[in-house]
Amino acid sequence: MKTKISKIRRWVNNGNVSRFRFWIQIIAFILFVYGSYFLIQVGQNLPTFACPYNPGSPGTCFLMSVQHRMHTSFSALFSWRGVGFLTSLLSFVLFFIIFNKAWCGFLCPLGTIQDWITMLRKRLGIRGGQYDEKSFKKLSWIKYVLLALLFLIPLAISNSFFGLPKLSHDLHTPFCQICPARIILPLFSGDTSQLSINFSSTVTIVMSSLAIIILALFFVGSFVKKRFFCFFCPMSALQYLFSKIGILRLTKVGDKCTRCGNCSRVCDMGILSIAEDITSVNVVTDNCMMCFKCVEACPEEDCLNVKVLNFKIFTSTEEGFFKRYNPAGDSKELPSEQSKK
Amino acid sequence: MQHTVSKDRYERMRKTGSIHYSMEIKRNLAEMVDKFPDNPQGMNYFYDRYEKFLSGDDTSYQGKKVVASMCIHVPLELIYAVGAVPVRICSGAYSMDQIGTEFLPAKTCPMVKSTLGAIYLDILPGNIDPVLIVNPATCDQKKKMGEMGDELGKPLYLLEVPPTKDTEEARRYWHRVIKKFVKKLESVTGNKITRRSLKRAIKMVAKAQAEYRRFNQIRKTAPVIYGKDAILVTNAYFFDDIERWTQKLSELNDELEKRIEQKVYVGKAHSPRILLTGSPSIFPNVKLPVLIEELGGVVVYEEFCSTSRMIWDTVAVDEWFLYDMIPAVADRYLKPSTCPNFSPNDDRKRKIAKGIEDFKVDGVIYQTFTGCQLYDMESRTVGNFVESLGVSTLFIESDYNPDDFGQLTTRLEAFLDSLKNKK
Ligand code: SF4
Ligand code: SF4
Ligand code: SF4
Ligand code: SF4
Repeated sequence: MKTKISKIRRWVNNGNVSRFRFWIQIIAFILFVYGSYFLIQVGQNLPTFACPYNPGSPGTCFLMSVQHRMHTSFSALFSWRGVGFLTSLLSFVLFFIIFNKAWCGFLCPLGTIQDWITMLRKRLGIRGGQYDEKSFKKLSWIKYVLLALLFLIPLAISNSFFGLPKLSHDLHTPFCQICPARIILPLFSGDTSQLSINFSSTVTIVMSSLAIIILALFFVGSFVKKRFFCFFCPMSALQYLFSKIGILRLTKVGDKCTRCGNCSRVCDMGILSIAEDITSVNVVTDNCMMCFKCVEACPEEDCLNVKVLNFKIFTSTEEGFFKRYNPAGDSKELPSEQSKK
Repeated sequence: MQHTVSKDRYERMRKTGSIHYSMEIKRNLAEMVDKFPDNPQGMNYFYDRYEKFLSGDDTSYQGKKVVASMCIHVPLELIYAVGAVPVRICSGAYSMDQIGTEFLPAKTCPMVKSTLGAIYLDILPGNIDPVLIVNPATCDQKKKMGEMGDELGKPLYLLEVPPTKDTEEARRYWHRVIKKFVKKLESVTGNKITRRSLKRAIKMVAKAQAEYRRFNQIRKTAPVIYGKDAILVTNAYFFDDIERWTQKLSELNDELEKRIEQKVYVGKAHSPRILLTGSPSIFPNVKLPVLIEELGGVVVYEEFCSTSRMIWDTVAVDEWFLYDMIPAVADRYLKPSTCPNFSPNDDRKRKIAKGIEDFKVDGVIYQTFTGCQLYDMESRTVGNFVESLGVSTLFIESDYNPDDFGQLTTRLEAFLDSLKNKK
């Protein structure tokens, strides 16, 4: 029995998570973009960009429910509406406890599209931008500000803050108005209606123009820099607030790390602390999308681990590393393998 | 060539130098081989390589472009990728040290003196005639050695290693240095680095690393090979054909695995397990490990830039294009290095701690060459740290001169005895 488990372990640790992730992403993409055509319904509290503006969407992105639910008076918020918000938050958190930020790495359609754009760039042999993490770290606050606004603007439409006049109704669901998913995902269902400027008022003109600009930045940005949009994504900010309680974890044993930097080299988010930090156990940082490429690239036995609670499901190993990073992809050529025959 | 001495004198120096050199090799090799019964069969290849190669009795490099390197910060993958072969020429020969003394201050590190001596007299391993000699700017002595080289008519190429490795600034700087180095390599060899050639080179080196890691796994499991032999194996990586080296190490590993099964161990059941660190042991200067093992200890791990530090760390690439492969290779030669030229250098302490744990080490022996300031200065911090782990440490200051055998023996004996008593 024991040898069987260790055999399975070895097989998994030698595996190629990135390839697995590629296929999961495709399946998730079909589910979240075309799900309703298969009569799938997944509710309103998905921590992902499943966008209801897309006719194929099987559910609603949690950001929209937040904006809707905040569109209410204070008195209502602190009574029955508040309860509704709390229950929806609870089910969001529940999704989230299970998957943690792996939503971003494996399931979010916007994340997947960015990965596909990167793949295209690689196909074309065009080099990506080399930006150090610092420049993006400086911009980290943006996603938190977006997140805060997403709560505050709807509240300020229904309530008056500090005696100021209430905001215009045209600002309802403000993030949706500028969200690139609102425009991109319907395109996959053949719906181009979102790709336009809304001329009904000054506010809508400004917001929908902003949306087009952000859309362009989304494409250009992610072509140049892997997962560009994710650096600014309020969903990621919201998820990170709950990351500590997720049962899916990415952990590190600092004593085993040589700080070779392999992990941060391959990280799409360019996270340096994954290599540099040798004291933390939990190494999920706010930009991390739990794609586990770092674990694949770590050659030290047991140094980086993917765990569900305390159960290891994927671990960095010497053997796994040399299998994956053998450029010809032919592990049988490795001398250590030959001799084991 | 500008000589500081007359042509006649130079020729005489060269002649006597090479006689002394080959005598030294033969004598020290015999010391390592004959005094120990029961050496693994697989070691014969390596013993033989030393004899042939270092004494110039070897033709494997004829007709090949050789890039000579000093120190572990020279990216071998890039040299292979331009179709040249790297040979590391850091010298451990006392006979060459004496040559270096002719033009370097007496208190210079023997490794620097010996290497420059060998370069000056053209007594390089395998009789190579390098198209480029790469000198990484690590310690001050090596920097100045480069200038001496110019004066002696032996220009060295300075590879600008940054003084720290933890910051992004240092990393970017190093990436630029490596880019320049690639250009230099391309111009001296007349070949271009291509995506395919670099990929192949990375793979070739990765195979050697995988095999070396297996060697370490074996050494962790049971004491089936002496440290003096392990040092010879890694030292041979300096100059051997890398694919053949990997193959021969694989054969040795197979044999050692059998030894584990048959419980054929080196040393005695209670032999103290020693970790060696400090200034690098390079053949033929292996008196310290040999002495330790003659006196009943077993060297189980060496934290030297001539051994584990050189082969261990690997290259991971995200996009298999030159724009990503070259920085990836550069990173591998900077980030995990535990060379004392970097400040801070806590990674070295951590590596030693890991070595102590993984290899169940009883005692640490720290070697400093007379004149090697960096290792000397770090000995205190490292020593205190090791002591804080509850492991005893012995500091040895020594050089390439074999005269201090007697004094070394007394100190080593006392240290090993104290470790035995603790066991
Ligand atoms: S950060 Fe945002 S856009 Fe990126 S994958 Fe996560 S949820 Fe999707
Ligand atoms: S527009 Fe964006 S934020 Fe709004 S529901 Fe769609 S995906 Fe979510
Ligand atoms: S790849 Fe592993 S050993 Fe290297 S820096 Fe990352 S965690 Fe440390
Ligand atoms: S730190 Fe690791 S899991 Fe997180 S984004 Fe980077 S590579 Fe992926």
